[in-house]
Amino acid sequence: MNENQLNNLAENIREEGYNPATSGTDLVYDPASGEFRTVPRGYSPSNGETVTKFTEGGFASESGHVMVYLREDELKSAEEALGSAEEVPAYVEEIDSDEVFHIHFQPEIKKLPGELRLPGFCTRDRNAINGLSHSSLRFCVLLTEDGPEVWYRLRPLKSRQWAQAEAFIVPSEENLFSRSKGILEVDILRDKRVLVIGLGSFGSQISIELAKAGVGHFALMDFDRVELHNLSRHTATIHDLGRLKTNVIEEAILGKNPYAKVEKFPVNINEDLPLLYEEVEKADLVICATDNNTSRFNISGALVEKGKVGIFGRAITRAEGGDVFRYRPGGPCYCCVVGAGNLQEEEISDVASARRDGRIAAYVSAEDAEAMVQVGLSSDIEPICNLMVKLALVELSRGKESGISSLEEELTYDCYLWANRRDRHYANWKPFPAAGQLPSILRWYGVKVNKDEHCPICSGNIVLDDGEEEINAMASNIDLNQ
Amino acid sequence: MDNARYQAELGVLRRKLPNSWYCFEGIGTSTPTLKMAARTNSGNLYTLHFDLSQFPMSIPKVFVTRMLKTKSGLEMRGCSASMHTLDSEHGWTRICHYGYSSWTPNVSLYKVFIKCRLWLEMYEAHLRTGKEIQYYLNHQA
Repeated sequence: MNENQLNNLAENIREEGYNPATSGTDLVYDPASGEFRTVPRGYSPSNGETVTKFTEGGFASESGHVMVYLREDELKSAEEALGSAEEVPAYVEEIDSDEVFHIHFQPEIKKLPGELRLPGFCTRDRNAINGLSHSSLRFCVLLTEDGPEVWYRLRPLKSRQWAQAEAFIVPSEENLFSRSKGILEVDILRDKRVLVIGLGSFGSQISIELAKAGVGHFALMDFDRVELHNLSRHTATIHDLGRLKTNVIEEAILGKNPYAKVEKFPVNINEDLPLLYEEVEKADLVICATDNNTSRFNISGALVEKGKVGIFGRAITRAEGGDVFRYRPGGPCYCCVVGAGNLQEEEISDVASARRDGRIAAYVSAEDAEAMVQVGLSSDIEPICNLMVKLALVELSRGKESGISSLEEELTYDCYLWANRRDRHYANWKPFPAAGQLPSILRWYGVKVNKDEHCPICSGNIVLDDGEEEINAMASNIDLNQ
Repeated sequence: MDNARYQAELGVLRRKLPNSWYCFEGIGTSTPTLKMAARTNSGNLYTLHFDLSQFPMSIPKVFVTRMLKTKSGLEMRGCSASMHTLDSEHGWTRICHYGYSSWTPNVSLYKVFIKCRLWLEMYEAHLRTGKEIQYYLNHQA
């Protein structure tokens, strides 16, 4: 029996009233007679052996186990709409071929790459799936007193027979993060607004982590697009090449928390300071994940003026380590930290960006510039992102009783240092097992930073470094007559 | 540059230099500038133009308000590691005075001015000796 004959046999069985939702059929080959026959699924044949179960649902099943996901809030809207109409349209997205489908009642729900949208409808009338109407429709959400049922047919059948899928309900916003309750104040986080500036390897991960924690409002700032060299550390995929990072991360956030509100600003903040100040004022917390000091100083200025909390993070060369700084109103600002010399030179991950802000001097050749790009691994920056997320959650939940309240007593420093490897700056550190109380890699170290009383950004009492002594000393060492 | 910073800069310049040596323009706009006179030891007078549009968060661009030439007569138009110049604008030679990693908002315009004044001395030494500016910085400083 060839494949066509087997398909015909399957079709005949379905025509006879086979119901894949309630039974399955296996195909048995009897070597004595040389014939195929069908048996109920799970039945052990006395002669012959089960040779195929065409699909997960059994031989002659129209398909395997079909799972359908519906969102609770959309179902409520559909129910309301059915008060004045017999049917409302449904939009079905095929996620994995013939197996998993997501049904929406709003056409504007975005399609993911590779999704196929199929037509469907929602009704209270059970006759709708028995009649001859809807010949082109493949999915029916039947609202019953016991809850929604989803019926489907993956190919229009001669018999017009519908099968019931297994329906799963995605909970509404208030229940989406119920598993985090007790650890996080999810009700509070839902109303918080986080401004994330810079959506590179740091900002992308942190945004998504905060969305997973239940933060409800995001403002995303980055003018850059996804490039090939981003992929090894960014959350973006190869399908995102060329897209604005703000769009990519918005999608990722909504993928974790479809109820999150996201505003996007694909701008260079150094060129639009009024917008920066406006957005900092609106935010409950600012994540500074940019890759240059000009933007960090600008963000620091905005945080000081608007009295907001900000978390800064970066990696140093080849991500051999990194640092995290938290600004809290009244405390030392980013400029105080840089001025105090607590931070090492940062990594260069992108030539174009480094050229733009002068980290690679303009006279450095293209070849030498490429050699200066020394990025670390994604796994090297993740610990830094992780601490930034923890600090962010502590700040957003500060003063509220939750499972992370105790971290308020741990994370009291302004600045934290991390080393991934015993390279360059950390070459003289002891190996991890033998370090004892000495500095070693893979541990966080808190640094107390004093506020600079004359800081030009946060002190209100600017005393500038005129540098005369330093420069006079330099000049006295130069003999211009040689 | 906000008003507090402007007043602080002005305070330093007033202490260090005669009033006629400097002139701010466009303060409070998106394109503030500073012009400063610089007289070298040999008595030559140069005008320095400071672009303050992103100052103090970013390094100010500083230009000598003419196109200088090297001892061999080439215009100092482009980036040069050995002569410490960056790409020119407005037809003016641009001095590379601060590196990215050493810049903080604490640095005063006066300090930048002094470094540029030193650059001018080294430039004139270059005209006399033919040695590049890098020679004086790397070998002596």
